[in-house]
Amino acid sequence: MKNKKCVAMLLAGGQGSRLGVLTSKIAKPAVPYGGKYRIIDFPLSNCANSGIDTVGILTQYKPLELNDYIGSGKPWDLDRLEGGVHILPPYQGQKGGNWYKGTANAIYQNLEFIERYDPEYVLILSGDHIYKMDYSKMINQHVEDGADCTIAVLEVTMEEASRFGIMNTKEDGTIYEFEEKPKQPKSNLASMGIYVFKWNKLKKYLVEDEADPNSSNDFGKNIIPNMLAAGEKLKVYRFNDYWKDVGTVDSLWEANLDLLNPNIDLNLSDSNWRIYSRTTGMPPQYVSQGAKVENSLVTDGCEIYGSLDYSVLFDNVTVEEGATVDYSLIMPGAVIRKGANVRYAIIAENADIGENADIGGDPAIVGTEDWGITVIGSNLKVGKNAKISANKMIVDNVDEGEKI
Amino acid sequence: MRTTAAAGIVFANSNDNLLRNLTSQRSMASVPFGARYRLIDFSLSNLVNAGIANIGIVTKENYRSLMDHVGSGVHWDLDRKNGGLRILPPYLANGIKRYSGTVDALHGAKDFIERCNCDYIVLCAADILANVDISALLKAHVETGADITTVYHTGMLPPNRDDAMIISLDENSRITSIEFDGVAGAVKSYGIGITVIARDLLSKLVNDAYENDLPSFNRNVLAVKVGQLKIFGFEHSGFVTLMNGTDSYYKASMALLDTDVRRQLFNSNRPIYTKTRDDMPTRYGTKANVSNCVIADGCVINGIVKNSILFRGVTVEKGAVVENCILMQETAVGANAQIDNVIADKNAVIGENMVLKGTNEKHFFIKKNQIV
Repeated sequence: MKNKKCVAMLLAGGQGSRLGVLTSKIAKPAVPYGGKYRIIDFPLSNCANSGIDTVGILTQYKPLELNDYIGSGKPWDLDRLEGGVHILPPYQGQKGGNWYKGTANAIYQNLEFIERYDPEYVLILSGDHIYKMDYSKMINQHVEDGADCTIAVLEVTMEEASRFGIMNTKEDGTIYEFEEKPKQPKSNLASMGIYVFKWNKLKKYLVEDEADPNSSNDFGKNIIPNMLAAGEKLKVYRFNDYWKDVGTVDSLWEANLDLLNPNIDLNLSDSNWRIYSRTTGMPPQYVSQGAKVENSLVTDGCEIYGSLDYSVLFDNVTVEEGATVDYSLIMPGAVIRKGANVRYAIIAENADIGENADIGGDPAIVGTEDWGITVIGSNLKVGKNAKISANKMIVDNVDEGEKI
Repeated sequence: MRTTAAAGIVFANSNDNLLRNLTSQRSMASVPFGARYRLIDFSLSNLVNAGIANIGIVTKENYRSLMDHVGSGVHWDLDRKNGGLRILPPYLANGIKRYSGTVDALHGAKDFIERCNCDYIVLCAADILANVDISALLKAHVETGADITTVYHTGMLPPNRDDAMIISLDENSRITSIEFDGVAGAVKSYGIGITVIARDLLSKLVNDAYENDLPSFNRNVLAVKVGQLKIFGFEHSGFVTLMNGTDSYYKASMALLDTDVRRQLFNSNRPIYTKTRDDMPTRYGTKANVSNCVIADGCVINGIVKNSILFRGVTVEKGAVVENCILMQETAVGANAQIDNVIADKNAVIGENMVLKGTNEKHFFIKKNQIV
């Protein structure tokens, strides 16, 4: 096997429990985003565009749909003779096997995979974020700095800082302290969960961490603090473009609507940095006479007879006559039947919203106290004239005329 | 029957001359159609949807854009070790002339035919637009014990298509006569350019015809042998267009605005595949006003668009009005421009405030890369 300069390991095993019903059947990285993408398209496309051709994808929670989606890696140009994309679930060894106990343990259990490529550097990524990033620039900085570990950071406001893992640095970007969700943050440099390590260093710390029975086997909680304590050279890599964690219903909704905001810098139509996705075999979208489509994203396979405003429609969505969709995400294959009104909602895959149903609430009317995005789970049927108010997470079919 | 028992041959340059505007730099097979397709996508998908994974594309000229489009065949799942997609360009050698008809073209493809290791060959012209159930065709072919089965449609004969086979059938669907040079508009049963035939028989018929300098497989072989060979018809009653001029191209495009036609051409059991481009979804702005349009991904619409077909990456600026138009890939319509009955080939640029009006009889045509 030819050696690779850098191997990427993508942590895609998380449940994403804060997304509720949206991840009841699929892993978070497989959650649809932006009309035709899945969250994992972003790190995979970034890898492809950054010239990283060997990617291990660590899966654990509900991997079926994710495995299907990744397939041979072809849509991201990651079907390679040497390297390419590899799905790495937990496995049984001679002495039994374990689920991945933490992010660091997931990598530890796949030391052999990384060793096959004998890389100089390992890039650790997660499947939870929407951003476009040239990893090669980060790796170059890491090499120039001669760092043992480089952590990508984003400047956040001091108020937000207490929600993130915060890097406290010296002027030259050397990290002297890492604080997870500090009450009194000393810095506003938030970790993006993207790390470059010298492989020999990472390996040493992974092995030591595994030997510690009290460790949570986590990069943020264990590996990074241990490296700092031992005086290793850790640096930050500053990232200034769009980056969004889509771990909650609200943030997923916001990140989608960001695509409709001309003042937000997330350009998915840059031909030099395409975001690839697996789509095939769908006819073009049709917008009927009498339809009204404004401030929205619509993709292949959609048929629009009703009205859309500030919404993102995924593939094969039908919006029937007289239906209205405002400030909502309608995921693949969902149907919004005649006269239904959907606002401030996420309608998951293949859900069927019955005639004249009324879903979600406008914050201006509901009042911010009780307001929240309403989510309808995948494959659910909402009966005619049903009414579902703001801030509801629907996990079962809803009967005709039912009020929730 | 094994589904792999058939191979396909697609004629890429069928009737190129009938769409001169669109084929000056490309073959009929690579004429853009329906917002995100090329005509050949329909033939390739029809074959692939019947489990045929061994396809030769016979080309004569102008095939660079076709090669760009089909590539290794991956988008049709045709990058295979067994079979897959092969482009069969003409070769010039002593005594071999460039194709002048389908017999020459098939003779040029004789290596493909001899080596394809299949019992049947499905011949497809690239100048037709239809979603045809080729598995049902193959099944009927085997069940009737036919030597040859050709797909027909009953309806008004298109103009400029003297080459269309006008057929008469008996009650068992056996073809009793094949004629040509029909009068446009007459209601007839006519062939739509898809024919299945046993491989050995095809080889023999093509060799004989080639030796005897006969140009057309349909006219000089099938029509002549209609009594000797068991030639059957297989009806395709769904939507079909035989391309016969820019006008028919425009009409077939606009037919996509009819939901029923879209259901017939795009059927989730027999999807039409094409080369994907990874465009982002289409963005509709605050001033967008879109009505009765078929639109591909990657467009940015801030103006008024009615009764039109927009290909990938088309931009319509604020205040622009687009009506009854076919705008191909990357066409840019400037602010406040007004265009009606325009067919714009790829990368056309229509400047701000420009007014361009064609009529329903004579469309205003903008060439590839032209700036107006």
